[in-house]
This record gives sequence, structure tokens and C-alpha cells, in this order.
Amino acid sequence: MESQGAESPPSVSGQAEVLNSIRERTIVENSMVVLLQGLQGEVTTVDLRNESSACGRVVNVDAFMNIRLKDVVYKDRRGQVTQLQELFITGRNVRYVHIPDHMDIMKTIESQLSKIHRVRNFASEGGGRKEFKKTTK
Amino acid sequence: MVLLKNLRPPTEGVRHEQAETTAVLGGQKLGCGTLYVAETRLSWFDGAGLGFCLEYPTIGLHAISRDVSAYPQEHLYVMVNGKVGDDNEAEMAEKAADDDDDEDEEDESSSSSGGGDDDDDDEGAITEIRFVPSDKAALESMFSAMCECQALHPDPEDADSDDDFEGEEYDVEEAEHGHADIPTFYTCDEGLSSLTQEGQATLERLEGMLAQSVAQQYNMAGVRTEETNAEFEDGMEVDAAAMEAGQFEDADVDH
Repeated sequence: MESQGAESPPSVSGQAEVLNSIRERTIVENSMVVLLQGLQGEVTTVDLRNESSACGRVVNVDAFMNIRLKDVVYKDRRGQVTQLQELFITGRNVRYVHIPDHMDIMKTIESQLSKIHRVRNFASEGGGRKEFKKTTK
Repeated sequence: MVLLKNLRPPTEGVRHEQAETTAVLGGQKLGCGTLYVAETRLSWFDGAGLGFCLEYPTIGLHAISRDVSAYPQEHLYVMVNGKVGDDNEAEMAEKAADDDDDEDEEDESSSSSGGGDDDDDDEGAITEIRFVPSDKAALESMFSAMCECQALHPDPEDADSDDDFEGEEYDVEEAEHGHADIPTFYTCDEGLSSLTQEGQATLERLEGMLAQSVAQQYNMAGVRTEETNAEFEDGMEVDAAAMEAGQFEDADVDH
């Protein structure tokens, strides 16, 4: 769920990176981007603001709605179709993201939010991995 | 984007450097050179004085293309918002100097406010750039490096995302009161449940006062009230004792 920008070398900007990722997490849980992050692994279509569209498998969506897709069929504005192995769409250029019909939107949002909250509550609840505490439901 | 003669390759924050890379700008081959994927901007130089750089906010998308039916060579495809070329060189030079500050842009549509942008984007004005490395295996690294750098340049015009979230998301108070699962800002309903005990008490008191002042109008007929009526301003001096005794039961009260 972390943005791809969090991979810089651990030199000067270490703390900036941490703050950035906290900021991104806060952005995510307070906007609909949280739903888009739940699309990871799904095949869907993204309509761009310049009238082109891209259909492929969602690799990652970050807090700024930058979308990374793979195995993409890209249709440009003129209708010309090409295949792209990997595609990164800048968030600003996204007009629509299609949500696959089979997805339960509320469940996806809730599940994504609970992941965020587990991360954030890690310290306050005495540490330890909550995943191991729970029995399967 | 700038076509400059005197620009030097970046030395800091270079996430990826790819030599023997041909740059094709809008269909026109510029020759073979080195691509620099740096944190500040993307640039390419042919080593003989010709080069250009791209600002990440102007880049709409980038991709790895291995579809040789679309283009005969595997390459890194970059789509830039706005027209790039000699005509715009002067403006572009300004833009390059501004680094991430895109606010004064004219031609480049990526920076102005959301409403205005739509026109520019819809009108077209995009530039396609292809970087064709001789080492095709490097495409993944080139692509990934660009993804990382692109993520470092979020849209400054995106009003929703930035200003509200500067503070720490981990709030000590939240954790202590066990409300850690509530986001750092509250909608009306959420806010109620995240009040501290003191806040709750205050809210109840205020609501009580509000209810009292409203209820007075209906209580004047002698119904007992809990609180004294210090708030009453009409000079009638209706006090609790009087209310209890029902002295003013038949009074005609206008408020």
C-alpha cells in the first residue's frame, strides 16, 4: 500500500520518507483512493483525461492516484491500440477508473482501511502481530 | 521540456542512468545518448552538446513497450502533456528553471488549476517520446526508476490531498482514549464519538442549556425545571421556586 516513492536510499531523506509515507497513508484513508488501492491484482480499465484508455492488471495505486498497470492494452485518442508490458499513469491524468463488477466496494474499502489501522495501531497496542492473535473467522 | 545546448547531466539523485539510448522525440530520432532518470527531472544528452530535460509533473504516463508491431524496437515510452518543440523553447527554459513550481505555465497544461487544465488536455497537445536503449533488459530498471521519481512529484494542484494532512497521523490522545481507529479529521458523526470525557461533558452541558432555553417556552405553565433561569433576558425574573409553585401558571407569556 505504500507509495512507490518510498524506496529511496536510506541516506539524508530517511525521516522525510517516513513522514511522506505517513502523509500518504492519511491521504489514502480519507479519500476514495483507498478503494482504488483495493484493486491491486484486478484487471480493469483506466480512462485518461486525454481520451485514451488503458486496460490491464493493477500493480499498484498510490496516494496520489498514480496507477501502475501491467500487461496493458492501450488505446490512444485516435483509437489506435497497442500493447504495453508495463504502464505508469500519473494520477493527474486519470479521469476514471473502472471498478470491476464482481467487486464488493464496501468490503474492499473496509478491508483496506483495516489494513491501514492495523499498521497505525501497531505501537499503541503493545506491538506484536495482530494477524497471529486472531483465529480465523 | 527544454532543448538546450549547454545543459549538463545531473550529478545528484540519479536513480538510473542508461547509456547507448536513442531518443525519439515526436517521431524524430535525435540520436544516441544517455538517459538520466534523476529525482528532479528526466534528461537525455547525446554527449555532443544536445540534450533535453523533462519535468515529472509534465509527464502524463510512461510505459515499457515490447510490442514490435506498434514500434519496431522495444523501448521506454513517455507521454508528455503539452507540445514540445523549438517554438516553446523560451517558455520551456523558464519552466525548467522553476523546477517543481509549475504555477506560471501557459502552454504546459499540467500545472494550472483543474478546471483550466481540462481544456488543454482535451485539445490534445501531447508529445510522445521514446527512449530506445541498446540493452533491452534495462527497460525494467528504467521504468521502475521513472515510477519512483514520478511518485516524488505529486500534483501540487490537488487541493484535497495536501493541506489537511500535514500533522502526525499517530495522535497520542487518540491512542490513549482508544479511538485510534478514527482518522485525524472528523466528520460530524465521527466527531461525536471521539470526544474526550471532558468534551462529552461539555457537549451535554451545552445541549442541556440549549434544551432548557427552548424548553422554557413550553414550561412556563408551571412545569418544574431543573436549572435556574439566569439566561432569561426578558426581565420577568422567573425563578425556580416560582415555577415549582406554579404561581405563573396562568400567565400569558410571549417570547
